[in-house]
This record gives sequence, structure tokens and C-alpha cells, in this order.
Amino acid sequence: MSSDESSADITIATTIPQEGAFSSMAEEMEQGYDLGVAHIEETLDQEVELLVENDESDPSVVIESLRKMAGDADMIWGSFSSELVTAGSSVAESEGIPFVAAYFAQEAPHRNEDYEWTYAAFPKSRDVARSTQGLLETIPEGERPTNVGIWEPNSDWGEEQSDSWEETLGDAGYDIVLREQYEYGSSDFSTMISQSANQNVEVLLSVPTPPDGITMIEQIEERDFSPDLTKFVRAADPQDWWNALGESGEYVCMCPGWVPGMTGNGNEEMWNAYVDEYGLEDDAFIRTAVGGGYNVAQVTAQAIDAAGSTDPSDVQGALQSETFETVIGSFSFEENGLPTEGELTAPTGQWLDGNQYTVYPETDDDRASDLQYPIPAWSER
Amino acid sequence: MVSPELAFESLLNGLLIGGTYAVAALGLSLVFGIMDVVNLAHGHMLMVGAYVGILLFAATGITPLLGMLLAAALLFGFGVFLQRVLLERVVDKGMEQPIIVLFGLALVLESGGRIVLGSEPQRASLGIPGSSIPVGPAVLSFPRVVTFVVSVALIVAVWAFLKYTTTGLAIRATAQNTDAAQYMGIDTGRIYIITLGLGTALAGAAGALLSILFPFTPYAGWSYLLKAFAVVVLGGVGSVIGTLVGGLLLGVSENVGVLFIGGGYRDLISFSIFLLVLLVRPQGLFGSSGGGE
Repeated sequence: MSSDESSADITIATTIPQEGAFSSMAEEMEQGYDLGVAHIEETLDQEVELLVENDESDPSVVIESLRKMAGDADMIWGSFSSELVTAGSSVAESEGIPFVAAYFAQEAPHRNEDYEWTYAAFPKSRDVARSTQGLLETIPEGERPTNVGIWEPNSDWGEEQSDSWEETLGDAGYDIVLREQYEYGSSDFSTMISQSANQNVEVLLSVPTPPDGITMIEQIEERDFSPDLTKFVRAADPQDWWNALGESGEYVCMCPGWVPGMTGNGNEEMWNAYVDEYGLEDDAFIRTAVGGGYNVAQVTAQAIDAAGSTDPSDVQGALQSETFETVIGSFSFEENGLPTEGELTAPTGQWLDGNQYTVYPETDDDRASDLQYPIPAWSER
Repeated sequence: MVSPELAFESLLNGLLIGGTYAVAALGLSLVFGIMDVVNLAHGHMLMVGAYVGILLFAATGITPLLGMLLAAALLFGFGVFLQRVLLERVVDKGMEQPIIVLFGLALVLESGGRIVLGSEPQRASLGIPGSSIPVGPAVLSFPRVVTFVVSVALIVAVWAFLKYTTTGLAIRATAQNTDAAQYMGIDTGRIYIITLGLGTALAGAAGALLSILFPFTPYAGWSYLLKAFAVVVLGGVGSVIGTLVGGLLLGVSENVGVLFIGGGYRDLISFSIFLLVLLVRPQGLFGSSGGGE
């Protein structure tokens, strides 16, 4: 059935990692997309059908599933992580369908693949590195750490993000005292922990998968290694971080694209819609991947509205020319689908009392906090 | 430049992790050495043992140090059932048929585990208070030290069983020459049942023990199988002490090796050693016809 034959006005295809390494993000991500669909329907007064398949955190399944759905789709939304989103973009590029994705920090595909249909509505590696520098600069100069350690997963994004951190923080005067690679899915991080303790790493940075990140913290605690600040991009994003680690996961920072505590650009509407749809206990916060998904839907709504149709070329033109106001900020796209450099400030959150508070940039929301630094030693918690 | 303190800590960590490699490989080594059966489901049986430890800990708070007894008992029963119902029919029909049966079993355990347990990593904990242990300039993880001690104790107990009990003697005799053992009045069919039961029980116990240190998913079986193979080849098929030494050597080689060539190459180190030993000394460091020392 082609999209013309669909009963819906707009048909969107996506895959979600309901199993595998990224499955802990699936529920939050799907909530964000579902709220986003309601947002588009309300904004454009058109019916939207969201086609969803489980990609099992496997790039080949992403491609296979999207190929099956592409014939019906006016647009594709990305899965979670640069690895899976890159796989999805290959279908969009070959089929000529606009593709909008969050959770996609890797820059290299945009630079190297001459994308025409892929748009990353999300901070990139360079933004994450700049945000890390900004976060460190919130610490008074006399107390600021100097020794940075990077644990680099052996992936394209792992290398790219580590390069960005090394360059940005090195240029800002920090000492990169350790940059050590590990294999995805490793179960033993003892050597890296020993190396970090030996090099007096004060700031520990990595981009692990959630399972790897949880294992890292468990082994860091067992070894009684206490860096002053830990930032685990992606691993610390999902609620499962807290479910698995409890208070051992406290104080760890993340950079998930959207963090509770961000304001403006539809944040209040998203919170209200979330509470109406799913309910929320008094002290609980919406989870980070909800915001990323909702932001993708906001981009979609604004692009289709500006295009005046779902014709792929018209939507592509709107994506290329418009400025988008979304819960993660205000931005336009560069020619190759990257968010225009400097427009997005990648927000950093920190786990405090079981919730993810915005610690950078500073906002006046109740869900924002000052960075807790230095992290208390394990024995003092 | 690697400092002496760092090298020392990595060496100790390598020994600790090597003990767990050894206990993970022990059941595979015995079944291979005594029955000439390559248990391709060994890693998956270990995974089942891990989940016994994890679920028991989650439900009752019982430490996997005790949970391993339940895991061993359950897996022993499973091994006996497996031998009597499946393997007995194919064990004397060459290497291929048992391998196919056990490969199929591995897939069943993996798929069944995924359906019943999901694919999220799960882990137990030691369940007893402890903190890190300073040893000279090194700091060691308390759970790793405890699991190492239990692993070595378990390996020594198996060695003593094979060395000093009548059943152990019969197992070793069967391993050396099955026909001669039968002529001497040994019920080799029963010995095979005991051996597979012992091998699977050891996989279960190792799994419960390792659940203290590492997260498990239903997919974890293959990686533990590969690591166990490396240890068995290094130490020598069927040799209990060889398995311990093989595990320790592998652990130390990995941990010290990654200091010099990087953590991204941990598996490269393991399997380079595996291939090197196969080339230079295919019977392993303590290779014998099996049956334990």
C-alpha cells in the first residue's frame, strides 16, 4: 500500500530498540514519539499514522524493517544511537524519504555521505564537547579539575566523540591524562579503572551503551575509585540507569539532548501532555528520551506546515530552509543535515535523588540544579 | 610508560579474573577430557547457573555464594537428564552428532532465556558487606577477591574428588581407556552420567559465582564458551590443575597485555594465545589423556 492509499494524512515509519543493548530507552522513546504524533495531529489538524517495528538494537534489522515500511511512509524517524540512526538513514537516502532523527551525535556520516534526506535534530559530538567545557567552567576556577580521562568505545562515534573531547578540552587547557579504548560489551573494566586511578583522573568521560555504563559504575565502586566528575553520555540517559544502580548511579552526568529543566519552545506543553497521557508522581520527572522524540515530532510538524504538503521534495526544502523551535532549542539545518553549528547548546543533566536535573546550561526551572562537584567518595555517601 | 604500581595492580587483577576463567572452563575441560564430547552448550549452562544466582538473590537476598549450591544441584540434574535422554544415544557415534545435539541445546537455552528472562543485562551482588582491599600499592575489589578464593577452592575440591575417591578413580580410568575400564568392571555408562552431571553442575556453580561480578544476558553463553575453550586449550584438555593454571595465565596475559597494547585488544590477546598454544603445544601446558591428575 502506498502512502497515497493510506487512510491517514501523514504516515511516518520508525524502528525502536525494544530488545538489545539500547532497549532500556525504548519505552521513553516511544512515549516521546506518541506524544509527538498527537502534537502533529493537533498542530496540523491532520491524521498521523506511526508505523513502529522493533529493531532489536541491530542495524541490519533497522534497515530491513524500514525497507518494508518505506513504501507506505511520507517520512522516517530515527531509532536510538548513532549506530542505529546511521543504518536508518541509508534507507531514507536510497528511497528519497525525509528522515529526521534525535539521539544521533555522530558527525562523520553527515560530512562523508553527502546526505540529502537525513536531518539530525540533535546536538553533535562537537556540541557535546563544547557543553562539557561549559559544564567544567561552571566550577569556580580555583576548584576546577585539570586531569581528564576518556574511556573510548571501539566504535566510529566513540572515536569521534573522544577526538572532540580531546581537542576541545585540550585547547581549553585541560590535561588529557588518559584515553583508553575498550570493546563494546566488555565485562571487565578493571584495567581501565586501575589506569585511571594511577593517572589521577579527575574528570571521567565516556559514551558507553547503557549496559556497559552500568557495569563500569559497579566496578568503579567495587574498586573504590572516585573521580571528581563523571559524564557518561547515553549510558546514564535512561531510567534503567537508576533502576539498576540506585544510589550508586547518583551524581553521574549525561548529555541526552533534552533534560528536565529546559524551558520554552513547547516544554510546558510537552509536560502537560505527558502528565495527561501517562500521569506522573509528584516528585517524578519526565525521562530524557521523551524530549528527544517530541523534538523530532516538532521539527516534522513545522516542516510539513511550511511545505504545505507531505511531498518529499517540499518537506526536504522546508527542512533545509526553516528555523525550528523545539524543546531542545532553536535551530536550523546546515546543507548536509547537521544542526547549524553553535545554535544548539547540548544540555547536561546530573542524577540527583533519582532524577535527572539540568546542570548546564543554567535555567530557572525547578528541575535545574547547580552541578554537584566534586562527587563524594564512595565511603562518604 | 607503565608504572610499577599499575603493573602490580593489573597483575593481581589478572590473577583474580583468571581464577574465574578457570572455574568457568572446568566443566568443559572435564567433559571433553573424559567423554570426548565438546559441550557447545557449556556457556549456556553457565548462563543458566548465573540466572539461578541472580533470581535467587533478587527474590530472597541469598548470596550467590550459597545460590551456587542450588545452581549446581539443578544443573547436575539437568546434566543427568541430558545424558540419559539425548547424549547416550549419540555419544559413541563420533564427534559430530553430540556437537549437533549440544549446539541445538545451546540455541534452545538462549532463545528460551530470552523469552523468559528478557534481554536486559542482570547481575546479582555478593550480598555481604565489604569494601576494597589494599594490597601494597594496589587496591583490589572485595567481591573479586572472594570469588577468586571460592573459585580456587572449588577447583581444588574437584581435583581432590578425582584424585582421592573411588568414583574419581573410575572416572580417570574411563578417561584413559574406556574398554579397559569396562573389562575391570567399571560401569562406564554410569560414569558418563556422573561426568556430564559433574560438568554441568560445575557450569551452574561457575555461573552463579560469576553473577556476582558480571552482568548476564541470555546471549552471554557464547562468549563464556569461547573463553573457556581458550583456557582448556592453554591448560590441557581434562587437566584440573592445568585448567586453573590456564585460567590464571589467560587472566594475567589479558590484564597486563592491555596495559601495553590497549583495552580494545583484550579478545585479540586471548585468542592469539589460544592459537599460539594450538600451534606450539596442542596438548596444552598440562595436557594428558584426561581424567584429572
